[in-house]
Amino acid sequence: MNKWIKISLLFTLLFYSLAGMTQKQRFPKPEFGTGYHQPTPITPEPRALALEYTDVFVLLVVLSLASWLAVRKRSRKWMVWLSLFTLLYFGFYRDGCICSIGSIQNVALTIFDPGYAISVSTLLFFLLPLLFTLYFGRTFCAGACSLGAIQDLIIIKPLSLPEWLRKTLGLIPYLYLTIAVLFAATGTDFIICRYDPFVGIFRMDAAFHMIVLGIAFLLMGMFVARPYCRFLCPYGVLLSWMSKFSKWHLTISPAACIQCKLCSDSCPFDAIDLPTDEKQVKHRIWGVNRFLVYLLLIPIWVLSLGFAGSKAHTWISKANPKVYLAELLISKPEVHNDEKNLDVQAFLSSGKSMEILVNEATIIRHKFYIGCWLAGGFMGFVIGMSLLNQVIFRTKSDYEPDKSNCYSCARCISYCPVKK
Amino acid sequence: MKNKGIVFFLIILAIVIVTVVTYDYYSSKPDELPANPYALDADPFARIDTSLIMFNESRDLAINFSEPSGMCFQDGKIFVVGDQKMQIIEPSGKLIKEVPFDQKPTCVFVSQKNIFIGFRKSVSVLNSDGLKIADWNTFSDSTVITSIAEKSEMVFVADAGKRIVRKFTLQGKPMGEIAGKSGNDQIHGFIIPSPYFELAVNPDGELWIVNPGKHSLENYTLNGELRTWWKATSVRVEGFSGCCNPAYFAFLPDGCFVTSEKGTIRVKIYKPSGEFLGIVAAPSKFKENSHAPDLAVDNQGNIYVLDMDRKMVRLFVRKEKR
Repeated sequence: MNKWIKISLLFTLLFYSLAGMTQKQRFPKPEFGTGYHQPTPITPEPRALALEYTDVFVLLVVLSLASWLAVRKRSRKWMVWLSLFTLLYFGFYRDGCICSIGSIQNVALTIFDPGYAISVSTLLFFLLPLLFTLYFGRTFCAGACSLGAIQDLIIIKPLSLPEWLRKTLGLIPYLYLTIAVLFAATGTDFIICRYDPFVGIFRMDAAFHMIVLGIAFLLMGMFVARPYCRFLCPYGVLLSWMSKFSKWHLTISPAACIQCKLCSDSCPFDAIDLPTDEKQVKHRIWGVNRFLVYLLLIPIWVLSLGFAGSKAHTWISKANPKVYLAELLISKPEVHNDEKNLDVQAFLSSGKSMEILVNEATIIRHKFYIGCWLAGGFMGFVIGMSLLNQVIFRTKSDYEPDKSNCYSCARCISYCPVKK
Repeated sequence: MKNKGIVFFLIILAIVIVTVVTYDYYSSKPDELPANPYALDADPFARIDTSLIMFNESRDLAINFSEPSGMCFQDGKIFVVGDQKMQIIEPSGKLIKEVPFDQKPTCVFVSQKNIFIGFRKSVSVLNSDGLKIADWNTFSDSTVITSIAEKSEMVFVADAGKRIVRKFTLQGKPMGEIAGKSGNDQIHGFIIPSPYFELAVNPDGELWIVNPGKHSLENYTLNGELRTWWKATSVRVEGFSGCCNPAYFAFLPDGCFVTSEKGTIRVKIYKPSGEFLGIVAAPSKFKENSHAPDLAVDNQGNIYVLDMDRKMVRLFVRKEKR
């Protein structure tokens, strides 16, 4: 896409973001009998069931189209139009909700909280992209994700990040996923939705600091392509697992690669694996020794980070409003009289006793203890496997998409001179 | 280093992102939350145009009550009830008589001959010396008596609990009730969300009953038929707002209404037609979140305001006409 069109698009988005900033996040004072109108809520209103299923149908169509465009049609141009539609429909029209990324939390909550039942449409939003990825790679990221679309359309001068930085930052999505599941499972918070940087832009309304967050990500996205997708998106973790085993993933060349290297710099996401360097082959024996060491280190990573997580559970559990409130009321009894503290006043007016609150907080904290053990252990496993992957030697003879990290955006295709 | 400026810019952005997320996380704790942004700020409605104030406060009489509940003015004497007693006080503040009761009275009305004391579920009739003549106990369990008035040997008792006005003879014989309903679609019946249900008879002998949930004052014949009514719903000074206002009202000798409100406490004057005239006591005269004051008027049109929080009767006199 023409550079100037991208710049215009970026400034249009920024303009709307700033327009959102000027809107107050409080409704005007009621003027009884003087034409007062109830303002529209910031969060989307509940949707009719038929419309929810319409959204699922649209997602299914968009996923099918994106997969077809990436794998069969091999068209970057049409992929851009599709992602533009996704941005308008799932982003601006649907106010960024519901999205597959946030649905992770609904799934986690429904697994761990017997009192919560996930809706069929939410479950489909969670499952459909994973299923498509298992067959066609991350075509969801390419054309069906509004968060991906808004970032993809503003890439202006993407920088290639050094591998060590990519690998290190690449651990953040795992951590984010772990915390998001932990928080959702304990009924603490839906942090993926809360810190969605673009939802304020989609809804044209958000708290000032959330608008700042969205703008910061957009500005960053001009130079670091898709920063949220690559270094934060928790759903991307699941997609990368699926994509690794995808059956019909996009290929750069439609036939045999002629190793012309034209595509080597085409990917703004550094997601093209280069052919194996002969020099690396000579160090294979040294690599085997390191492989064994790293393999043995995995259980140590799991146990040590699991233990560290369990030790941090008291602090982490303070993120839960109930735990925090119980601690606050115990440590600062004078808060009982603070009429402006809505949480305290809501608790006092509920008629619930302090003993019940403390009991509930204790149960939640115990859940955090187990959750933090598992979360720490999982992060230890991820780190251990990441280190192990550094020394696993895979011979590649062609320029190939890195299946885990490739978004199937089809940029590289147009660089390939090979035709069918 | 290539792209040094861009890298520096990216580092700044990364810092901004981390700062915003950290700020949001810590600022959303119960003890860090800002004041409720959705709370209705009623302060602007408490501020009024001082040119609308028609009365000056001329005197305050401290009263020996811990919980005063009602007041009436008759024959140059102030009758105040509360706690478990009634005090008869001269306008100078001198205590004339104190009459004890065995329960807490809710309201008082004094006619030419008798003193009617309303309790929660009964009415006591005293003679002018304060001696009990009769007890009326024909009320139901859910009765809450809030106001009494008398006209043409008919006593009207406002029952906020049953949302009706009961009629009695002077001897206490029940003579029916006024339910406030009519064929007129605009009249709903009495809406009484809280025990503020006042009635009074104006100088022309007309019975007026407040319908607080409708912010209206309704005129009924002695037979209980609706004759006329007016309402003023607004948070602005010229109207009534909230669940149940006006809380109390009385009549000036010229038939104008004196009203008092709870919530944003203020005492105001309305013409007999219901048109807003001016203010007797602005909200600044009262404690915040205090009780609505009961009202009484003497023959000269001076207004007695029973301030239940400051435990005093406050006298308001009309300003000199310029």
